[in-house]
Amino acid sequence: MIKKSRKVRDYKKLTKALPTDRYLNPKSVHIHLQNNRCKTYDLHVKEGDHVKLGQVIGVRHGGFFEQNIHSTISGTIGKTSKKVHRSGRKVDCIEIKNDFKETYHESVVDRTDAQIEKLTQEDMVDILKEKSLVGLGGSGFPTYIKLATKDPIDTVVVNAVECEPYLSSDYRLILEHPERVVKGLQYIMQALDVQKGIIAIKSSKDPLYEVLTQVLKVRFPEMNVKVAKLGNHYPQGWEIEVFRHALNIDIPHGVLPTKYGVIGFNVSTTVGVYDAIKHNLPVTKRHFTLTGDAIKFPQNYRIKVGTPVKDLIEKSEGYKKDIDEMVVVMGGPMMGNATLDDDIIVSKTTTSVIVLENKEYKEEQCVRCGSCVYSCPARIQPQQIMQAYKRKDKEQIEELEAYKCVECGLCAYVCTSKIHVTDYIRKAKKLIG
Amino acid sequence: MEQKIPNKVFKTSPHLRRPNANATRMMRDVTIALLPVIAFAIYRFKMNAVYVLLASILSMVLAEYVFYLVQDLLKEKPFKLKNESFTLYNFSAITSGLIYGLTLPDTTPIWTVVISGAVGMFLAKLIFGGMGQNVFNPAAVARVLVVVNFGSLISYGTDAVDAIGGATALQYTANNLFDAQILNYYSLSNLFTGMGIPGSMGEVSALLILVGAIYLGFRTSFEFRIPLIYVGTVFILASFVALFKGIGMWYPVYHVVSGGLLFGAVYMATDPVTSPITLPGRIYFAFGLGFLTFIIRLFGALPEGVVFSILIMNMFVSSLDYYKWSEQRFTKRAIYIFIGVIITSIIITVVGAYYV
Repeated sequence: MIKKSRKVRDYKKLTKALPTDRYLNPKSVHIHLQNNRCKTYDLHVKEGDHVKLGQVIGVRHGGFFEQNIHSTISGTIGKTSKKVHRSGRKVDCIEIKNDFKETYHESVVDRTDAQIEKLTQEDMVDILKEKSLVGLGGSGFPTYIKLATKDPIDTVVVNAVECEPYLSSDYRLILEHPERVVKGLQYIMQALDVQKGIIAIKSSKDPLYEVLTQVLKVRFPEMNVKVAKLGNHYPQGWEIEVFRHALNIDIPHGVLPTKYGVIGFNVSTTVGVYDAIKHNLPVTKRHFTLTGDAIKFPQNYRIKVGTPVKDLIEKSEGYKKDIDEMVVVMGGPMMGNATLDDDIIVSKTTTSVIVLENKEYKEEQCVRCGSCVYSCPARIQPQQIMQAYKRKDKEQIEELEAYKCVECGLCAYVCTSKIHVTDYIRKAKKLIG
Repeated sequence: MEQKIPNKVFKTSPHLRRPNANATRMMRDVTIALLPVIAFAIYRFKMNAVYVLLASILSMVLAEYVFYLVQDLLKEKPFKLKNESFTLYNFSAITSGLIYGLTLPDTTPIWTVVISGAVGMFLAKLIFGGMGQNVFNPAAVARVLVVVNFGSLISYGTDAVDAIGGATALQYTANNLFDAQILNYYSLSNLFTGMGIPGSMGEVSALLILVGAIYLGFRTSFEFRIPLIYVGTVFILASFVALFKGIGMWYPVYHVVSGGLLFGAVYMATDPVTSPITLPGRIYFAFGLGFLTFIIRLFGALPEGVVFSILIMNMFVSSLDYYKWSEQRFTKRAIYIFIGVIITSIIITVVGAYYV
């Protein structure tokens, strides 16, 4: 147990091989009006109005950007209420009652390939801005800002590693729509005028490798895109780790990858780019995993953004019988936030909800085995930071570079004594601000 | 049918933990790895070994138990037979007691074992705050207490009285450095298997210690680099001396298999609590151990330096872990400095060997 250990048991078997269940006609959807980056909003519609799929119904105001809010179904506007966002906070949500007609808004028109070929970087940035595409892996960072980079880029990396245990929504997405991923990558490469693309997957995902290489060979023989198999460990999906292993570039803390000529996009974001450019469509649907050892039938769903998770839990026939306590996690089990509320709404950036049986772990004394220090992907020393935090020694915490921590949770996972090291680091980070 | 909805519980991420990892398993593994060594000790030294080991384990475990009992009394807590601070359940005290017992010769008087064990446990572990807090290895401290306080009472079977811990094979070299004659008394193969070699109970058989080390390595219950570099450093320094003096390669091999080097390297130096926390730190630590051990063996008045070097290096653990220069992995600067230190220590050893 005293070893560098980046293997995390992945539990993906629960959902990986099952075909995605389509659930695209919920009775009503709730659209988040606020999120972790945008605190205020303006609404262009009022209760009782009829909206169409893809219509702009409002705008969110972030610190340095604005996001349009789109309707993901057609129907009538309902009430505004407080629902849980992926970040764990309750935010305002607006209800749209489905009329089950799926009428698209007038602005949703396909672009022809000839039209797309003429698009410049600025045009694409404008489209993505209008469609308010954000990092769908969970970061929620506006994609248009990323795409508008002026740094010379030579490689675009699509991050399809999905290293979090339990999750397999990206996996199913690539398996079922590989050409959308490659098309999205093609558009990004066109926008940034880049010749080289890399799709990074885990080495354990052989089916993906076959699918992607086949699609690239047959449909896109002119593209210079490589499928890179990366190590099967956690947190391989962290952007810095992807670049480190796929390209051998070590990007120091606090430097944008674009300075090194690389840029990374999540697979779902890439598909979002495809939808926005080709169909002029905002993100209305996404792949979503509902899994965990307390769910009766774990399953991947293709759903409308704004679907209540309650509906999906019903579709999965609820919880297993013999479970008394559970933890409901939004996002992956290593980094996701737990919630106590029932009304979780799938937002654009919610990749999954995981329901785990609650296990109490008995913490023992730290025996200084060093597993956390060996394993830390941010190359800091969690155990020392924990001790410094216990002494409230700010200077030491700063010197130990606690701010580099990405809260991947590996230190607590590997801990021999089952100490919640990640929590101490989080508090230490708060202490130094 | 109404569905039963489980209660929701709030927790912070991560929500998973590594299966099969706990501190108890780590300590228990050390005990299991010691089993062949214990069996051999009982086979070689008969009932004496059983008595000494029992005395060492009981003295350490009871010292801890009584300490926590008294602490509870002082805090006016109600008496409980099963004290929660007590570390019997996670094998920590038993492991210390076993290691301590195995470093003793079989003829050690039982009362010295008991006194040193209890006092060593108290001084090295309990007053620092118990498990995970100690600066010094309790087994090593207890062993040194035996040497310092009751040295004249210990003898290694047929041989002359040997004051300081270690095998008499090394006692011979302490007086007759670089003399190949030694091999007539103790052949290398006997030193390796432990047959017919006088010495402390646990350290005579290099072979069985290696068996335990391999088990621990596979269970990843110890940092295998520490014994590797520790023993490697002694071997390399001894090789340089052998080359310099023009004696055969039996000399470094002899240094490795004789005395408590292997036992100390595998079971005492790797105690995670008393070794640095970073990988580079552990490597410097192991190198320091090797250097000190060889220096003590070569120049010191003592034939054996393992236990003392472990205690000395334990003192430097907090310096190696000092936050301003501890690194999670090797930096270029650290490697250059470390190479400089290695070269310097080789020169010191060789120059020293010239004057011995």
